[in-house]
Amino acid sequence: MVRTEDFNILVIDEDPDRAAIVERGLVESGYTRVARIGTSHNLVERIQALAPDIIIIDLENPDRDTLEQMFQVSRAIARPIAMFVDKSDSSMIHEAVAAGVSAYVVDGLREDRIRPIVEMAISRFNVFDQLRRERDEAKAKLNERKLIERAKGILMKEKGLTEEDSYNLLRKNAMKQNRKIYEIAQSVITAFQLEF
Amino acid sequence: MGNKVRLGFVPLVDCAIPVVARAMGFADQENIELELVREMSWAAIRDKLSYGVYEAAHLLAGIPIAARLGLGGVPVQHLVVPMALGRGGNAITVSTRLYQRMLEADPAAMHGPRGLSARALKKVIDEDRASGRPVMSFATVFPFSSHNYELRYWMAAAGIDPDRDVNIGVIAPQRMFDSLRNGWVDGYCVGEPWNQRAVFHGDGVIVALKDDIWSRSPEKVLGVRQDWVDSNPDTVSALVCALVRAAEWADEPGNRAELAQMLSEESNVGAPYDVLKASLDGRPVLRPGEAPIEVPDRHVFYRYTATFPWLSQASWVGAQMKRWGQVPANTDLNQVIRQVYRPDLYRTAVKGLDVAVPAHDWRVEGTNGAEDRAFVGPDSFLDNSVFDPELG
Repeated sequence: MVRTEDFNILVIDEDPDRAAIVERGLVESGYTRVARIGTSHNLVERIQALAPDIIIIDLENPDRDTLEQMFQVSRAIARPIAMFVDKSDSSMIHEAVAAGVSAYVVDGLREDRIRPIVEMAISRFNVFDQLRRERDEAKAKLNERKLIERAKGILMKEKGLTEEDSYNLLRKNAMKQNRKIYEIAQSVITAFQLEF
Repeated sequence: MGNKVRLGFVPLVDCAIPVVARAMGFADQENIELELVREMSWAAIRDKLSYGVYEAAHLLAGIPIAARLGLGGVPVQHLVVPMALGRGGNAITVSTRLYQRMLEADPAAMHGPRGLSARALKKVIDEDRASGRPVMSFATVFPFSSHNYELRYWMAAAGIDPDRDVNIGVIAPQRMFDSLRNGWVDGYCVGEPWNQRAVFHGDGVIVALKDDIWSRSPEKVLGVRQDWVDSNPDTVSALVCALVRAAEWADEPGNRAELAQMLSEESNVGAPYDVLKASLDGRPVLRPGEAPIEVPDRHVFYRYTATFPWLSQASWVGAQMKRWGQVPANTDLNQVIRQVYRPDLYRTAVKGLDVAVPAHDWRVEGTNGAEDRAFVGPDSFLDNSVFDPELG
């Protein structure tokens, strides 16, 4: 019997950042034998060389189609199955699908030993999703601020307004038209680009 | 407020029916709010349908059968097929290098019927074996795909053992072209536009079309969950009606240019317009730089009962699963096929519409020239065999 921490875990993900987050989570929980690979044309050979007990792969990864074929025909390696076949725990599967995680495990491993690994992957995927959302929002905010700055600059130069008056003009129009300030700023920029 | 239906699809020409249903208002007319989501993997689309992310999906004909049997180490899923989503569009493409070798090895076979072109491949394989070269690699899109069964049928008819004489792996459709280009595979069987694309780029040659292997071979189907059908019978009917109407529209030769335009959009197939147009017009180019040939039935969406979920086509898929060891030969698949393929749902949905339906749910396949030829379309296997589904 292998000890839990002796499992060979393979993380396959096209997104290296997400793979790194999952890997770190697993290593910090005591699973030391974690490997990760991205997109690879010799996927089958690499997996055979690594002989993983568990594969964590993002649900939408096109490599899954390749993997499932490999598991079907493979006689050389232990035959993996999708997570928890014939187990009644469908709530975890739903959770995994919602988070975008899929897992394949070597048949015969006990569910209670796989569960913490899959749970870790699900939580890390969710964390990554949250981080990405925050990053996207921050980026969008930054862009909005840039637009407003540019529009203010145009109004100051073209209309001789002070910075404060330029901003107030944008805000007043935004309120009047029930739009966001950056949208008005975008209109100002577009209008002046058209003119010159 | 319409009934919301989220439908997952894979970017291939045969996603046309759902794309048209949404874009041309056929879904709206049936009070269905159709949301389309593009997926890059058949496993992903199967799982998202199975676990409720989607209500419906564009699926390979074999996936719902495999899911019901729990094949491939995947939990059993109760998926059903209320209709087919047209047929046609597959082809076997080989690298230009392998094509040259086939041409040199057996010029007669390469100039004969395309369905028998694998005889040249057999000679190349024999040469490789004699000189100790490693076996060649081919790819299809999924273990339970018509592509896999068509490629194997084509090879086996020429005396090639697909499990021993070549490696057959799986690559997602949109990655096929790069894999051929980079020399990772020597050939593949995939749906359009991924064959035309290789030819247009000069990297591949089409050696057989789906029509050359078996013209009535099933292709994509509409997959839904059994529990969803049970609790939303009216929505299922409305969805089938919308998709059948869309299929009729897509089949009109006069609409094919507009269809090519629609499919070329990045959110749909995202391939160049001329590649899609050549294929949809039934004028595929088989070899780089050559003139197109005329294959009017290259993509059939509606005519020839192309939306009817024939039990006999499903049964053929089942027979291929047995032939290639995916299920034990003594498995009784007839019951499973009747649970999964549901012509009764189709008949109920199109009742009252001007849609011709067959008198029976199955027929003996491969009987080209039979009385129903005008209705069901050309129907020959490359080896002129006849398939009796024994569903009676």
